[in-house]
Formats: sequence, C-alpha cells, structure tokens
Amino acid sequence: MKINGSVALVTGGGNGIGEAVVKHLARQGAKVAVVDMVQKNIDRVVKDIKEAGGEALGIQANVTSEADTARYIKGTIEAFGQLNIAVSCAGIIRDGMMLSLDKETGKVSKKLGLDKWQAVIDTNLTGTFLCMRDAAEAMVNGGWEGLLVPISSVNKIGQVGQINYSSAKVADALMPKIIVGEFLMRGIRNIRCVAVAPGYTATPMLTGMNQDALKAILEDVHLGRLVAPEEIASLIGYCVENEAINATTIEITGGLCYPKGIAK
Amino acid sequence: MPTLTYNDMTFAVEPRGDRWDISYALPNGANAIAGAGLLAGLPEGEATVRALALIKTVFPVGIRCVGPDVSHPNTIGDLKIIGPDVTHPNFIYWDKDSVSCPKEL
Repeated sequence: MKINGSVALVTGGGNGIGEAVVKHLARQGAKVAVVDMVQKNIDRVVKDIKEAGGEALGIQANVTSEADTARYIKGTIEAFGQLNIAVSCAGIIRDGMMLSLDKETGKVSKKLGLDKWQAVIDTNLTGTFLCMRDAAEAMVNGGWEGLLVPISSVNKIGQVGQINYSSAKVADALMPKIIVGEFLMRGIRNIRCVAVAPGYTATPMLTGMNQDALKAILEDVHLGRLVAPEEIASLIGYCVENEAINATTIEITGGLCYPKGIAK
Repeated sequence: MPTLTYNDMTFAVEPRGDRWDISYALPNGANAIAGAGLLAGLPEGEATVRALALIKTVFPVGIRCVGPDVSHPNTIGDLKIIGPDVTHPNFIYWDKDSVSCPKEL
C-alpha cells in the first residue's frame, strides 16, 4: 500500500511518537486525522501540517470511550472519504509497585490502587482495542486496503513497577496474531496488522527526566542514545508500504540489553 | 469566505487551491485550524454544507450521564435490575453497613 494518497488516523497524535507518526505520514502524502485528548496539541500539530502543505483533521477524543471512538472514525471518513491506516499511539503510565512494605514492620503499607491499574488498562489496552476494532470495521465495510498498528512497548516482557503498563503492552503485542488469524478465518484479505514495540524513546517524558537516571538507562542501550520518535514513524511508514510485514510485533529499541549484556 | 456558528463557536471555511481549510476562533481571540486541505474539488456551497456536518461530528454538543451501569443488568424475567457503574472514577465504595453508622440525633 502506498502512503501517498492514503488516509491515516493516529490516536495520541498530539505529541510524542504519535505526533512524529502523523507528520511522517503527512509528509509522505497521506491525509491524516490527529486524534488526541488535548485540543491545544491537536491545534499545534494540524497547524504544522497545514503550513507544510499537508491535509489534516484534528479530533479531540477520549480513546477509552466507545462513543468517541465511533466519532473519530466517522469524522475521518467524512473528511477524507476512506480510512487506510490506524495507529494507536495514545498511552499513559501510572507506575508503582504492586505492594509497598513498611520498613520497620515489614508489613504491607500500601497497594497499587485500582485507579492506577484501571486507567492504564483503559487507555493502553481498551483504547487500542476500540481503535483497532472500529478502524477494521470501517475498512471491511468500505472495502479499503488497510493497516492496523497497535503500539506496544519493549516493556511487554514485564517491567517492575509497571504491572499495569506491561500487562497492557503485552496484550497489545498479541493483537496482530489474533486479528490477522481472525481475518484469515473470515476471508478478510485487504487488512494487515503489525504492532510496533518501541524501546526508550526521546519523547518529552523521557528527555525531561533526571539526567543521571537517563544516563543509567542509556548504558544498557547498544545504540547509546534514545530512539528518536521519527525513527519509529519511519518504521511504521515502511510497514505501510511493505505488504509482506504482517501479523507480527516489531521491536525498535536501539539494542536494549540487560545489564550483563544480554539483549532483551 | 463562509463563516458558520455552531455551539457558540465561529468557524471559517477558507479555500486553499481546490481544497478547503476549516478554522475556528479560540476564546482568547486566536485562531486554530480544525482541518486543513479537506473536501477536495467541492464548490463553495457544497463544501460549506459538508464542513458543517464535519464540524458537528468533530465538536459534539451534549452531556454524558455516567451513573447506573446499564450494560450489565441483573435480570429477573423481564425485569432488569441496574446497579451502579463501579468503573466510573466518581464511584465511591461504601463498605460500612447500617449497624456501623448509627443514626445521630
């Protein structure tokens, strides 16, 4: 599938990896829908794309809402007449250990709150599911060629302090196998699904963190630096145009290793 | 340049080549772009009608009521018993029974 002339929607398109994906696809000639919670970010990204001569639509939406999902899919199709690429970048973190102990008594003093669990599952897993499901529905009913891209994470292998995030991201990484398997069973041949699992990426969240902590993280990255959001966007663009890539999850980490040098 | 008013927001539909840009006024007086390069090849009248439909989709008006969990009713015959939506962030668990909360006069 050619990016040029296609129609893409990107949730979380207002900043970070999502913004890079939206802008990359727009530069390559795609018409793009920028879906985000924050209107200010949407306005900025749509303005940038307009000034670069591209075609874009901004839609404020909560990805955890079924009604909002239906609305941003409908809006994209009303604006551009079709939908070919859906990238689910919207994600949050609410880190914390499942149990915290009192140093003196050794007893549990605090548990990870259900609010922290639920918020991450709702956004990172349910939001991705709703996006993939409704985008696939539109592509099947429209008869359009399509690519579904859930965004997973290298922390799908299980990161301490992220039982919520890792649980969601490992589920996101499984989606391509299940979705494409079901498509095959149903005779749906026009839609592929490829997940992307980034490593530590130069988003504002990471570049703004404690620089000593960041330096410690980078010691385990073979590349010696954070992955650029544009590099992830470029990989997604490649996946769009190479139809042999399907039903898999691709890691893009710069070579993230465990401290003793074994690649994760 | 057609202007549209919807939900107390003012939108402008402006031509750019054979396409249309939709912008809107922010409360601080600045302009934001709702969409750029849309509705290719449409004449002004049709573009304005389509733009309004798109605006209504992208900027919905209404309120969302979150209360009873209507998705998971307990049924007794035709009767549906609807409990609270425990997944809503405003839902507060009340874990005390009436005995532990004696009536205060």
